[in-house]
Amino acid sequence: MNMIQTIDLTKRFGDFTANDHISLVVKEQEIKCIVGENGAGKSTLMNMLYGLLEPTEGKILIREKEVNLKSPTDAIANGIGMVHQHFMLVPSLTVFENILLGAEIKKHKCLIDEKTEIAKVQELIAQYHFELNPMDKIEDISVGSRQRVEILKMLYRNVDILILDEPTAVLTPQEVDELMVSLKNLKKQGKTIVVITHKLREVMELSDSVTVIKHGKVIGNMETKDTNEQELAQMMVGRNVILTVSNNNMVDEQAEIIYKADHISTANIFGKKVVDNMSFCVRKGEILGIAGVEGNGQSELVKIMSGLMETTEGTISFHGENITNIWPKEIRNKGIGIIPEDRYAQGLCKEMSLGDNIIAGYHSRKDVCRRGILQRKAINSKRDKGIKDFDIRVGDMNGTVAALSGGNAQKIIVSRELTANPDMLIACQPTRGVDIGSIEAIHKHLLEYAKKGNAVVLISSELSEIMSLSDRVIVMCKGKITGEIEPRDTNMMKVGLLMAGIHEEEKNE
Amino acid sequence: MNSTINSKIIKIMNCILPVLMAFFVGGIVIAAIGENPFEVYWVLISKALLSLTGFQNTLHYAGPMILTGLAIAITFKANIYNMGVEGSLLAGGFVAGILGAQLAGIPAIPLKFICLAAAAIFGMVYALISALLKVKFRANEMVITMMMNYALAKVLEYLATTVFRDTGNGYVCTPIVGDNAMFARIFSKSRLTLFFVIVILVLVIMFIVMKKSRLGYEVTAMGKNFEFAEATGMHVGKTIIKIMLISGALAGIAGGGWMLEDQYRYTLTFSANPGLGWDGMLIALLGSHDPIGILIAAIFYAALKTGADSINMYANVPKEIISLIQALIVLFLAVKFIHEKFSFRRSAKKVKEA
Repeated sequence: MNMIQTIDLTKRFGDFTANDHISLVVKEQEIKCIVGENGAGKSTLMNMLYGLLEPTEGKILIREKEVNLKSPTDAIANGIGMVHQHFMLVPSLTVFENILLGAEIKKHKCLIDEKTEIAKVQELIAQYHFELNPMDKIEDISVGSRQRVEILKMLYRNVDILILDEPTAVLTPQEVDELMVSLKNLKKQGKTIVVITHKLREVMELSDSVTVIKHGKVIGNMETKDTNEQELAQMMVGRNVILTVSNNNMVDEQAEIIYKADHISTANIFGKKVVDNMSFCVRKGEILGIAGVEGNGQSELVKIMSGLMETTEGTISFHGENITNIWPKEIRNKGIGIIPEDRYAQGLCKEMSLGDNIIAGYHSRKDVCRRGILQRKAINSKRDKGIKDFDIRVGDMNGTVAALSGGNAQKIIVSRELTANPDMLIACQPTRGVDIGSIEAIHKHLLEYAKKGNAVVLISSELSEIMSLSDRVIVMCKGKITGEIEPRDTNMMKVGLLMAGIHEEEKNE
Repeated sequence: MNSTINSKIIKIMNCILPVLMAFFVGGIVIAAIGENPFEVYWVLISKALLSLTGFQNTLHYAGPMILTGLAIAITFKANIYNMGVEGSLLAGGFVAGILGAQLAGIPAIPLKFICLAAAAIFGMVYALISALLKVKFRANEMVITMMMNYALAKVLEYLATTVFRDTGNGYVCTPIVGDNAMFARIFSKSRLTLFFVIVILVLVIMFIVMKKSRLGYEVTAMGKNFEFAEATGMHVGKTIIKIMLISGALAGIAGGGWMLEDQYRYTLTFSANPGLGWDGMLIALLGSHDPIGILIAAIFYAALKTGADSINMYANVPKEIISLIQALIVLFLAVKFIHEKFSFRRSAKKVKEA
């Protein structure tokens, strides 16, 4: 039976067509992957299936019956559940409370029957073999567990079609594997699953069939076993892409050290040491990768390096000058560019124009600001140059950043930071949530930049990115450096152990 | 169609709609008391905007409100809620009144300059107190600025009844400002004075500050995405102090100007009810924190004030109908404000990028 079928489904936002006559079929008990670059219209499609958006044209058939989904409640009533990329959970409540939020079991008509609730959730957890404790608070559990709670929330509501929007974007490699096992289990128990992703490895491993979307149109519907990563990538971007750009720059090992962190530590607001006695240095022309499972102090390290957090101990020097705990503005003025971790929180202002974003952080410089007045013409020509040099696809030059896809928004930041020509660049998760074409472009820019004799500190949770770009990699775990490796002659296995905080010596004992 | 033009039309409609709705509901009320709402509104418009003297009076009333509107806008734009504009205005007005009376012997031009400068400085000092509490101790600026208004009003009341009391008068007031300090009327029939020229000058400066300057850029960035502003290296604390000082100065000048063009002396009803500072808040919201919008909104709002008297005279409707319409505008604007600030449907609108 066809669980979901769409016929010529179209969605327009004004004169922009996000989905253009999409027709696809999801069969019962299969795992369907929907792939496409950022901005291809995957999320729009899913939001229509979940009742968050109403189609402009076309039909949606659920179990071969036409439906009109007006809200998520309608979708759930039709057996469709969605797990969003950003979780919708209450951190201060427990697992079971979150699962039953809005569907509480009551006794005496007004009191919440916690015992029955816990028992029910326990039963649910056992049924689907999820590793969870119903009594844990959401804020205490890992991202992977939170995602399982989201899935259970849907399963409790008796859905048999699960839609997951980029489920692996926030997970560590181990958690990704666990999720895949869970999803395959769910399929065995009769559920139909739709996964939106742009990670091709997951598509190959997980799915039964795959649909490729590009520019709002279906480019191909096929069985996973009849295709391969290369073909899918080609379909997604419409050309042959090199999946990874690799680093063949040779770094002079005697090159000058320009950035040095000396025994730095810091604590978070709860007083927990999140960066613990870290020392490292960066040489000219070198890309230093910082690897580690997310949440092991990388975010805080970047905040210290970019002046948003203070160190409690230790010093940082740049060109031999002490720059510990100076203002972000001064860090930029010293010649350090920053690509921040969260592009929409720290890197860009969505509601401001492209021009305003492309000068952010450098808006006091003479070329765009004279006697306190911003030079609009100079800003516009800077914007146009950035758009041209970095191949940023923009609909409306005078529009806001909110209208750009993730990859193009990221390129705005890359263009801004590299155009200022700093001596060193801190690149934190530079390609997160970015389409393959943009990843390749950003990687090339980074390599080219380092080749000119500049230093790069690359922090990323994508291990393959770190390994293929860096000249030297340090691995972090629980705020400490657990090891330093040469990416060219180290296998992934060893890195994995270091990421888990296991030193080789310890293992041998 | 061009999307930027489209969004501009929506923006403008967002401001005009509350006004139209208020007039519509007000019209129902007028009809209910047996009068023709169109006639009443025609009296209002023709007397306040279409007659020459009426329009000049309207501009006269609009002057201080343009300034307080700007004072509100520059802080609200940065998501800093300075409720102390009323206080700065009172402080500025009081100082200008006292100096205008005490220094009456000084020639006209320097005296006016001294009075307005002192008004601006007192307005700034008053705003600076809240700004420092906000920046140094992370106090909630909305609460402090709001509460300090009441404290200041009481202090000024005390000063006006004791130290600076004009004993020759039967009610609480300060001595009358000397003629040297008063702004001359431009036309004999209307109340419009030369102070309005200063207002327009300040408006032009503020237009440049808000739209073209680095400060305006930082203010917008702070208001739209605070974390982004910090991460891109803006000294957020410094910017807060700067805009609070500007806000205080604008309100102080508004108060000083109001004293020297209309009031002659500080009385307990100096800024009327609800007060020119509070009117400024409504005007800033109505004008979407945009200098040109504020100019239009202030003129419109002042027209209601001028028109109120005419309605009393020429139509059989009590002038309180204007208060009703003002209150309705506030109500409908609040809907817009809440929608903008706390809109939950925003995320749904932006899915197309993903």
